[in-house]
Amino acid sequence: MHQASFAGAAVWKPLLVLRRRRLEPAHSPVERAPSSPERAAWGCQISGLSAGDEASYPESNPGARGLEGFARRLSPAVFLRAEFFHPPQLFEMKPYDNKAWLLVLPALAIMTCVGILPLVAVTNYSFLDIFDLRNPTWVGVDWYRNIVISQRFYGSLGRSCLFSAMILSVQMPLGIWIALLLHRSNRYIVSTVLVLVTVPLVVPWNMIPVIWLNFINPGVGLAGRAMAWLGIGFDYKFTALHTWIVLIVMDTWHWLGLVVVLSYAGISSVPSSYYQAAAIDGASRWQIFRFIQLPKMQAVLSMALLLRFMDSFMIYIEAFRINAGGPDGATSFLSLDLGEDIQSFNYGPAAARSIVYFLIVMTVAWAFRMATSTRKPVAAELVG
Amino acid sequence: MKSLSLGRIAVFAVLAAFILVPLAQTIIISLVSTLPSDGIPEGHFSLINYQNILQSAVLKQAILNSVIYVVLNVALCLVVGLPAAYAFSRYSFVGDRQLFFLLLVFRITPTVVLSLPIFVLFSQIGLENTPVGIALVHCVFNIPISIWILEGFISAVPRELDETAFLDGHSLAGFFVRHLVPAIAPGIGVAAFFCFVFSWVEVVLARILTTTGGKPITMAINALFGFRTDVGLVMAMTVLAIVPGIATIYFARNHLAKGFVIRT
Repeated sequence: MHQASFAGAAVWKPLLVLRRRRLEPAHSPVERAPSSPERAAWGCQISGLSAGDEASYPESNPGARGLEGFARRLSPAVFLRAEFFHPPQLFEMKPYDNKAWLLVLPALAIMTCVGILPLVAVTNYSFLDIFDLRNPTWVGVDWYRNIVISQRFYGSLGRSCLFSAMILSVQMPLGIWIALLLHRSNRYIVSTVLVLVTVPLVVPWNMIPVIWLNFINPGVGLAGRAMAWLGIGFDYKFTALHTWIVLIVMDTWHWLGLVVVLSYAGISSVPSSYYQAAAIDGASRWQIFRFIQLPKMQAVLSMALLLRFMDSFMIYIEAFRINAGGPDGATSFLSLDLGEDIQSFNYGPAAARSIVYFLIVMTVAWAFRMATSTRKPVAAELVG
Repeated sequence: MKSLSLGRIAVFAVLAAFILVPLAQTIIISLVSTLPSDGIPEGHFSLINYQNILQSAVLKQAILNSVIYVVLNVALCLVVGLPAAYAFSRYSFVGDRQLFFLLLVFRITPTVVLSLPIFVLFSQIGLENTPVGIALVHCVFNIPISIWILEGFISAVPRELDETAFLDGHSLAGFFVRHLVPAIAPGIGVAAFFCFVFSWVEVVLARILTTTGGKPITMAINALFGFRTDVGLVMAMTVLAIVPGIATIYFARNHLAKGFVIRT
């Protein structure tokens, strides 16, 4: 959509055409079209319309001429920055029609059955002592009080926060870095690497710890034997640090692909004209990343951040299988406490815990929404 | 710009090794007899594990269960997700932003939080121990995913397509089937892919709903652990559990990165 838009200023046009020859197939509109549509393209860039559309009707937009003169006075860098602060309006206002609810209704009905009703039920349980399901006794906020005063809850909360912080600080930079490297590679490498990093995502979650426990087993595992051969005493069962290392490496193995795919989606959404302008300006690789790629990736990156935060914060099956919260509670995270309650059929306390966790999730999601809603959505560009 | 560089190739090679080596070990073990059995000495290459799967009715049933619930789930999510995504993309209505936020919340709510009431609820209406129950329950995180992805793709389709179709006398349903679905075919593929992935690998809800029967592959593997675990058989089952996933990745590979058009 933006392919033809960055043309116009006669001074650096030859340079652009050269670059285009290298980057794009020969049917690039710049080489085909005469100068008038090119000038119109300036106007479209500012008004956010597709340059391709404009080029077919060069005289139909009188505003473009006026803007063109204005645009000529701007250096490409200023022009780019203006674009960032006022991103093009991609969507017209949507018509207001409450009949649209009818279209949402089927989805909402299912969500009510499997999401909202269970949530109501669990809220109800959290105020009851349920020895058997037929005659529960009302206990008020006892279960909540037990959670709030227990040292164990805060210990688990702290460990979960620490785990999430470590996961995010490893996976986010690594994922973005790999996506940046991919962006500079040819498309065969891109599709190979994307397929490769996605493979761990389709491994059933209960098998991931099994695979890794086998892998680090000192008797049969490749990594286990390698470490034994190197003389590294690795003992994930009884050394807390080693359990943590296994969990973090395993989680990175599992989820890095999601961050890479999302980051790559974000980077691919940057129109090539931005890079051309940056190259003309002599921007360094870091500047390109900081001022062009990162802002464009914001929407998908914040999504990756949220998904990775929640999934690592509530890690259950993997952590349980590796060491069941051990050694000595060093990896007992929030969800492991909840799992323990559920497995011993403590309906009431488990329900209260579920509600507390759900409130944490709500708060995080709400904070996330507050933090991102001031920015404009980066949407259709990704699909184009 | 799109050149090859040794450093980059080296990084990708390390990445490939990191991802493939644990998997390679799994595949190797799946091809080795790990329990002494007739004729084949322990620790030798053989296809015995895969033969054992073919001979076990329980394991074959588990594979079938998994396929049934995943197909049901993906179909359900797409069918209810498409109109909802269309509504979010084309109209504004009372509570649309709140509803979108609700979807986000349910997508990121850990399944373990909902597992207890879902177990109680589903055992009261007789949906436990069936693939249908799992298919329904997995909607809680897959409907938001399908709505998000489809909404992005629909928003990229110009509104003129709708208007001309309605002028031509198409009903809304006819427009969906004849115009919208072909126009966003890659989007439907991507949405189906992500619904498949998240449903296929989920275990917390699948476990709590299939305590006595209707076990999917994941739970059948869990049941294989015991006093004398046949590790080879476990790994062979794991490999079989990954294969459909890899097949879908392969089909979706060119659209994977385009699927994330996320609005909050």
